[in-house]
Amino acid sequence: MEVIAKPDSKSLVQFFSRKEKQRDMLALSPGVNTFFTILLGILCVLTLIPIYVIIIASLTSESVLVADGYRLWPREFSARAYTFLFSQGSIVITAYKNTIIATVAGTILSVLMVGLYAYPLSRPNFKFRNFFTFYAFFTMLFGGGLVAYYMVTRQLLKIQNTLWALFLPSAFSPFWVIVMRTFYQSNVPNEIIESARMDGANEWRTLFQIVMPLAVPGLATVALFSAIGIWNNFFNCLLLVDDTKYYSLQFTIYTTLNNIRFLLENADKMQGIVNVSELPSQTFRMAMAVVTVGPIIFAYPFFQRYFIRGLTIGAIKG
Amino acid sequence: MTDLRQIPIDKHDFQVTIEVFIETSTICLKSQRWGRGWHSRLGRFAIGVMSSAQLSPRKKSRWNRDKIYTNLSYLTMVLPGAIWLLLFAYLPMPGVILAFKTYKLVKPPADAFIQNRFIYSLIKSPWVGLNNFKYLTLPTNVGATLTYIRNTVLYNLLFMVVGLVLSVALAVIIFELTNRFLAKFFHSIFFLPFFISWIVVAYVVYALGSSQGIINSLIVPLGYAPIEVYKQKAAWPFIFLLANIWKYTGNGSIVYLATITGIDRELYEAAAIDGAGKWKQFVHITLPHLVPVIVLLQILAVGRIFGSDFDMFYTLPNGSAIVRDVTQTLDVFVYGMLRSNLPLGYPAAAAFVQSIVGFVLILITNAIVRKVRPEMALF
Repeated sequence: MEVIAKPDSKSLVQFFSRKEKQRDMLALSPGVNTFFTILLGILCVLTLIPIYVIIIASLTSESVLVADGYRLWPREFSARAYTFLFSQGSIVITAYKNTIIATVAGTILSVLMVGLYAYPLSRPNFKFRNFFTFYAFFTMLFGGGLVAYYMVTRQLLKIQNTLWALFLPSAFSPFWVIVMRTFYQSNVPNEIIESARMDGANEWRTLFQIVMPLAVPGLATVALFSAIGIWNNFFNCLLLVDDTKYYSLQFTIYTTLNNIRFLLENADKMQGIVNVSELPSQTFRMAMAVVTVGPIIFAYPFFQRYFIRGLTIGAIKG
Repeated sequence: MTDLRQIPIDKHDFQVTIEVFIETSTICLKSQRWGRGWHSRLGRFAIGVMSSAQLSPRKKSRWNRDKIYTNLSYLTMVLPGAIWLLLFAYLPMPGVILAFKTYKLVKPPADAFIQNRFIYSLIKSPWVGLNNFKYLTLPTNVGATLTYIRNTVLYNLLFMVVGLVLSVALAVIIFELTNRFLAKFFHSIFFLPFFISWIVVAYVVYALGSSQGIINSLIVPLGYAPIEVYKQKAAWPFIFLLANIWKYTGNGSIVYLATITGIDRELYEAAAIDGAGKWKQFVHITLPHLVPVIVLLQILAVGRIFGSDFDMFYTLPNGSAIVRDVTQTLDVFVYGMLRSNLPLGYPAAAAFVQSIVGFVLILITNAIVRKVRPEMALF
């Protein structure tokens, strides 16, 4: 078979922007269409249930939660967990601050590094193109393993217990380099670059004023995914941070959950040592979880108009 | 006689130079003026070299000023990423030798060339051959090691197969839905879980499955005994599978959806005219078009088969010892050993196996794909 289909971003954007598919010979029969619409509708509800569960739990009144356990529809609502969360809880505020700094810095850094690294790889006149492609690609195939990574980051680079630890290890990704390279190749016509060169723009100016504006969907996708990656990152903090001053948001809520579970599971052994009823309240923890999800969800509509295009093009070798 | 001017001279490759040389020599050989002795061969060679040098005069301008500047700019652009890769990807690679050493922390003497404690200790630590690997295969440990390998591989295979089927199915259904607005809406919802961290998912599992959880609040009124789902061994494969499907299906389907929308509509119309139903169209048109993308993603997935989604396997069961047999994967196992008091060589040995096996598997898979369908191979 000669034709090799490639993910096609333009057709996908068209697909999503069209209001109604014209009814033609290829349309599903109305019965089948209704069936699948209902099926997907049910699956959507199921997909939303976990999110619903933590939101509703965070809004449940504490006493009701303790008495009834978790319910899909509690007897009594209360927003106390949120007021409590924002009135005190310096841990959460510090963690929030750390995570926001790390996410902003990491996203800018990764867009810059990936965008810069990928561009020369897309240019046929770069002499070391194959070398640097392989240099990035090889790291996707082979790695030194967790232990060596742990030792190098801690003993050699010494980034433990700093804010750098939260975003620097995730600030670059060979996978997105390959994606962006293909994106440049297929979305920025060589003629434009040549003519910019002809008009006297140097490589840097060509990249920043001509190429990058044309590659915004791709760069926005890199930005979105690295923002999600760093915001939700738990591993960097687990591995490299011991000091609560630099805890990330995810790690903070993880330790909270961890403490509670441990105490509840060992409640009988701990009798007299810890009073279980004095634990940070259950609704409070759920409110923390909701608050961590919040901001990153808001990033979604902002990037949505770009990311479908960016994600699909060049996700595949070009 | 071949006209020398017909030989393309705008290619400056070495290969072309050689071709020109051979061509010239042949021409000289054919002309009657040259004899067959060694001196005439030498003469032919000299003429060949001279004429080829003359024929590609632009060869010298390969590295003119403009090109050097361009390439220097390119190198500067690549530099930040290259440094990152060096620090975070290449520096740890030699660290795999930790697996064959007994790492002892030594303070480098003041006059030592290497002042970094880690590198100095790494070099000075004694080689112990396969001793570290022996720890993993001790009679007391071999069972656990094999269990964790089994967990890792089986979970990965399960996620690969189920993830692939569901992502493709979702993409096809979304594409076929008549109502575009609903299709887009559904897809946005299915993509949403991708934004939610595993820690929050761990909260959800807790809220659903704990003794006070929603599952119990639903089944106890029906007369069943309360259960603590996350203490049940049998429940964990389903919890992981559901969580994995929930988080990644929407994201995974995008690339397939993009491929499907790129397929030429006329193929389907022709098939429909020939009487092919939706299923036949899927099997004979959609699927063959998806195969290259599927193969590519699966090759990469095979390379990660000894790795795992650390966050998920670490946070959902949260080190619960009761269910460790069915929840622990190699990644988590290595991390656990790393943070325990065991010698560093033991987790290093396990991590070494992980790295090498993943690398070899990806090479083998790629070689097989290359043999069967060269155009689909990764490299």
